[in-house]
Amino acid sequence: MDKLTLNCRELQEYQPNRYPFLMIDHVDEVVPGQYAKGYKNLTNNEWYFPVHFPEGPNMPGALQLEALAQMLTVAITTLPGLKGKVTHALQHTVRFKREVLPGEKLDISCEVLSWKRGICKGKGIASVNGEPACEAEMMITIPEILEEFLPKAKGK
Amino acid sequence: MNNKEKYDQAFIESFSVEADALNENLTYQSIAEWDSVGHMGLIAALEDAFDIMMDTEDIIEFGSYTIGIDIMKKYKVEI
Repeated sequence: MDKLTLNCRELQEYQPNRYPFLMIDHVDEVVPGQYAKGYKNLTNNEWYFPVHFPEGPNMPGALQLEALAQMLTVAITTLPGLKGKVTHALQHTVRFKREVLPGEKLDISCEVLSWKRGICKGKGIASVNGEPACEAEMMITIPEILEEFLPKAKGK
Repeated sequence: MNNKEKYDQAFIESFSVEADALNENLTYQSIAEWDSVGHMGLIAALEDAFDIMMDTEDIIEFGSYTIGIDIMKKYKVEI
């Protein structure tokens, strides 16, 4: 499929999270079903910096992971018929390598390893100035699709 | 490995169960591991093991260890 670029407004057609939980600003390049990469700029005005932490603001690791998962979501929801679908996390394995600070740009790159029957397995890396900050293996789902393949009754 | 062994192995590896748990009582959601994600993992394991691609209706119908044995016959896999 063709490569796409999604600006801050366009990406919201493919990513249902909104303020204060939208963790990606721009999608530089996405090939639907294969990969997506872009970034999040971190200003002093991010809502979490005053509380995480007052004396040492840095982006919470959980939100770095969320940024990766949101970018992986875009790699899937840009496939035909999936625009705007809600995804849920199923299982993530993550490793953090450095703090991400106010004023820095978090580059986010995700690759789809498999997409089948509503379940996506993928991996991603978020980095600052080429220095890895967070790496994750992720499994996300579009419940609406997954449920189409499940046995209907317990104890059948 | 014969078909029965491959079939059993898919359950054992997908759900981390012992061989003696493989009976008519092993059904969808009867154990924590056989949840929605576990179901997709089992189907993928069986497709890999027998080099088949299961139809949607069979994936939905695959509600137990024993029902699965019948479903596999559709794919010319005798357990």
